Amino acid sequence: MRAHTLQTVGLRKEYPGTLALDGFSAVFDGGKVHALIGKNGAGKSTLVKILAGAVAPTRGQILVDGRPVVLRSPRDAFAQGIATVYQELSLVPELTVAENILLGRMPRRRGLGGLVLDRPAAFAQAREVLADMQVDLDVRMKAGDLGVAQQQIVEIAKAMSFKPSVLMLDEPTSALAQHETGRLFDLVRKLAARGVAILYITHRLQELPQIADSVTVLRDGKCVGVVPMAEATSQGIVQMMFGEVVQRQRPVDLKAGREPVLEVRGLGRRGQFHDVTFTLYRGEVLGIAGMLGSGRTELLRAIFGAEPFDHGEILVEGRPVRSPSPDRLKDLGVAFTPENRNQQGLVQLLSTRANVCLAALDRIATCGMLTRARQRAAARRLARQLDIQIPDLEQPVSTLSGGNQQKVVVAKWLHTEPRVILFDEPTRGIDVQAKQQIFQIMWDLSRRGVSSVFVSSELEELLEVCHRVLIMKKGALAGEVRPGLLSADELFVRCMEA
Amino acid sequence: MILNRFERLRSGLRRSAMAIILMVLCAALAVQAQGFFTTDNLLIVLRNVSMQGVIAFGMTMVIIAGEIDLSVGSAVALSGCLVAWLTGFLAGPPIGMPMPWAVTLAILASLTLGAMVGSVTGLLRVRFGVPTFIATLAWMTILKGAAELITNGFPLMPFPPWYNFIGGGYVGIIPFPAIIFLLVFAATHFLMNYTSFGQAVYAVGGNAEAARLSGIRVGRVKILAMGIVAGLAALSGVMQSSQLIAGRPDTGTGWELNVISAVIIGGTSLMGGSGTVWGTLIGVVFLGVLGNGMTLMNISEYWQHVVQGALILAAVLINIAPSARK
Repeated sequence: MRAHTLQTVGLRKEYPGTLALDGFSAVFDGGKVHALIGKNGAGKSTLVKILAGAVAPTRGQILVDGRPVVLRSPRDAFAQGIATVYQELSLVPELTVAENILLGRMPRRRGLGGLVLDRPAAFAQAREVLADMQVDLDVRMKAGDLGVAQQQIVEIAKAMSFKPSVLMLDEPTSALAQHETGRLFDLVRKLAARGVAILYITHRLQELPQIADSVTVLRDGKCVGVVPMAEATSQGIVQMMFGEVVQRQRPVDLKAGREPVLEVRGLGRRGQFHDVTFTLYRGEVLGIAGMLGSGRTELLRAIFGAEPFDHGEILVEGRPVRSPSPDRLKDLGVAFTPENRNQQGLVQLLSTRANVCLAALDRIATCGMLTRARQRAAARRLARQLDIQIPDLEQPVSTLSGGNQQKVVVAKWLHTEPRVILFDEPTRGIDVQAKQQIFQIMWDLSRRGVSSVFVSSELEELLEVCHRVLIMKKGALAGEVRPGLLSADELFVRCMEA
Repeated sequence: MILNRFERLRSGLRRSAMAIILMVLCAALAVQAQGFFTTDNLLIVLRNVSMQGVIAFGMTMVIIAGEIDLSVGSAVALSGCLVAWLTGFLAGPPIGMPMPWAVTLAILASLTLGAMVGSVTGLLRVRFGVPTFIATLAWMTILKGAAELITNGFPLMPFPPWYNFIGGGYVGIIPFPAIIFLLVFAATHFLMNYTSFGQAVYAVGGNAEAARLSGIRVGRVKILAMGIVAGLAALSGVMQSSQLIAGRPDTGTGWELNVISAVIIGGTSLMGGSGTVWGTLIGVVFLGVLGNGMTLMNISEYWQHVVQGALILAAVLINIAPSARK
């Protein structure tokens, strides 16, 4: 056995408007499992993408076993001994386990121009890989017939078949049930014992003692500390993740009213969320805190009528909503800005002008008729109101920056004069200044009596912006907190604990 | 600033590439093809393209909405036959309706039926997720069969001579079908550019999920668009039966492909979300001019087919090139 190492020196990645990695230096030696943690936006995913060869760093060096490598593509990364298993599974369901493991590298029969696959040889090779990992799995089964946990193992086998020095696992347990993670951890330990350096990216703090040998904490694109697991406490780790920050407060003049505008009663949908009950008051900004997969997005979509629900009811201004659908909710004065603004919030092919007018076509039109000049006037008015910098309203909306695109999504709804806006991760992937402007919009709306529901993974934001914050865990509400009474790291612990 | 102006000029050129090519083609034919550049001949071109052109405008709408209709050719056949059959039925014994009434009623019934067939396709798409490609492929055979059933495979000729006006008449020197063609162009152009429905069509085709989450009734938009193209196909069938003064089940064969070709040559993307009615007008006229010119130059019909196909490829390359580079 030979222990491998992966070293990064001053890795830096700049994106327009943001610095994703700011001189990340660390050494990961073989034979150990290195957990890599950090809150949202700390630079974890950028680091993973760089090490996997998916994006190039602006500056900095990567060394595998002491020799510098340049990764121009994911292929390069594999060739240089860095294998990655992503959170989303990428198996071809119709192919067998063996074919998936050897995808693109299937052994061929001799003769016939090498056109014919040699299936027995493939099975034998795949079996060898699996035996090497001490995994018992029928290589002739279709990948699609396997459970998620087994598919995950096939992914790892595929990565291991390249005989890597470094294996990166990006949130491998996010799709697994409790008892399945145990098997995965055993496998990961076995691989580590053979000298592979394992980078284990996770956001589940409670997993760390079971799997990690050391914990590397990222914050603001830097490595802020490496702690041997034996000496780590979860409180200490959380403090490293969040650092010493002054929690900003919302403006003092914001007051929530008494009249309920949106009431959600016992809302449930099988396998997604259950028994969700809350009331949103006039002018209130209500936060929902929860980890990815806690059901918060599904909940918002169900409230907006974009997805069905099995139980419960929704009341807007005291009246129950019958057969909810997005157009119905829109008519009732509810607006929704989806999590994924590229694919769900905007029509990228269309101009900024057309996108701003999208939700209120009938309002802007008279008798269904709608001139371009009229749309432009409406778009310009909102652009001014929301301070969106748009050189040309007729250019495709895709030419705008992320922050401005998000503001276009919000602007689209202001035309409908909503009373409630559901914001799903409105600040994802936009810079600090744009975030502040989004908050400002929520506050301005609040002053005018418009209420907001604000879902965010960034807990500091919720504490800064909201009147109240609901905690969502595993599809159910698990408490309510008031900003000012606790810090972001305390809220984080409350969202995490089982 | 200069760069910006240059950029603008370039994108402007790209957008009007087909119009420019059309003008070049016309100029070349004016020189090369005897009798091309005469008022009479140009009006003939317009008359020739009018029946398929009427459908092409509706097809533009449907393709922008991200759908397709392959049944328009068969709808032309059925609509023509239905008008003939109904006219004969209403005017003949025992009903004995006066001819003008019978014809009017028959036309209205055909148009309505056409629009209904399209709406059903839309409904199947929206409610049950049946792709319009499949549903209209089925309609293509069903409608053709229906046309053959009501005519027994032979032309029906119950029409009075004046019925020929719709498809063969003139107002002054302008062919009446060309007037219908231009009216339908104006109406669809207006619909797509100056109404909230038109905006919704672009949004639905560009990103159905974003449109739905903006509270646009995606289903209604699709059903309407499918209804409109089928209704226009029925109108085209009426025009065709008028020109022939007969309902014939063998008309409209293969029209769907010509119509879709014209739309694509006009710059509409089969992926949905982008395209213009104006572009389709150019595409339709382009195919008409090309066919007419080649015929005047005595180029064989076989070659015409080859050229038309090559042209579709070229047009798509021109239209796609800028976006593929990204």
